[in-house]
Amino acid sequence: MEFAEILPYFSEKRFIAELQATTKQGALEELADKFVDSDLIRNRDILIEMLQRRESVGSTGIGHGIAIPHGRTTATAELTVAFGKTSAGIDWNSIDKEPVKLIFLIVAPPSEEKNKYLPMLGTLVEFLSQEKNRERLLNTQTFEEFKQILTD
Amino acid sequence: MIKNQIELLVALQDLDIMLQELDEVMKLGFDMQQEGKEKLEGGRNELIEKINKPLVGLYERLRARYKRAIVPVIDDTCSGCFMKLPTYLITLAQRDQEVITCEGCGRILYWI
Repeated sequence: MEFAEILPYFSEKRFIAELQATTKQGALEELADKFVDSDLIRNRDILIEMLQRRESVGSTGIGHGIAIPHGRTTATAELTVAFGKTSAGIDWNSIDKEPVKLIFLIVAPPSEEKNKYLPMLGTLVEFLSQEKNRERLLNTQTFEEFKQILTD
Repeated sequence: MIKNQIELLVALQDLDIMLQELDEVMKLGFDMQQEGKEKLEGGRNELIEKINKPLVGLYERLRARYKRAIVPVIDDTCSGCFMKLPTYLITLAQRDQEVITCEGCGRILYWI
């Protein structure tokens, strides 16, 4: 999957340039609310339960200030992503113990016709493994800028 | 907080999917505690204890047959067999409180 192919799963409605949350739980809730606000999920509790369970088996903080909480839930019909940034950083119990500043919350339905969830997750990990991409994302303020970084 | 039987069933299916895909996700570079799988299995047992036994039986039978026992209802259609549902017969309150199955395929329906 090309980097630009992951762009359609993002939306300005699920883009937060500066998260209010200061904790992992708070950030998960703030991002989960974006799915509820954009009518992708009706029951926020089910989503939160799934995300907490996922974190309980291993942190989704992959290092370099990145966290990618993710999972499939029966409570949604579409593969979608929410993005949030925090300049202060949040303790995510990451692999490298560094605070997290860029958070991508990926939510997928229980099954998909085109089975894009895992390839998309892999592509995002690869994209974020490049330092220049991380640096640019840290400085992004608008969804337009964000889109440009993914398509460059 | 998750409280009713249909929500618990949905949480159970979400957990089962997580268990199935855990190895593939870890291959992408995510960390997992050594006891990760056991933790999930323990959580699964706790969830099952909260769900009525006949419902757990129905869930397991459907899962064995279809892989996914519970399917979202999208545009009044069962996303398992794509049968249009007579949703006018089902009130909003029922959707959240009762376990309703598809008349076509028998899968448990979840309104998103």
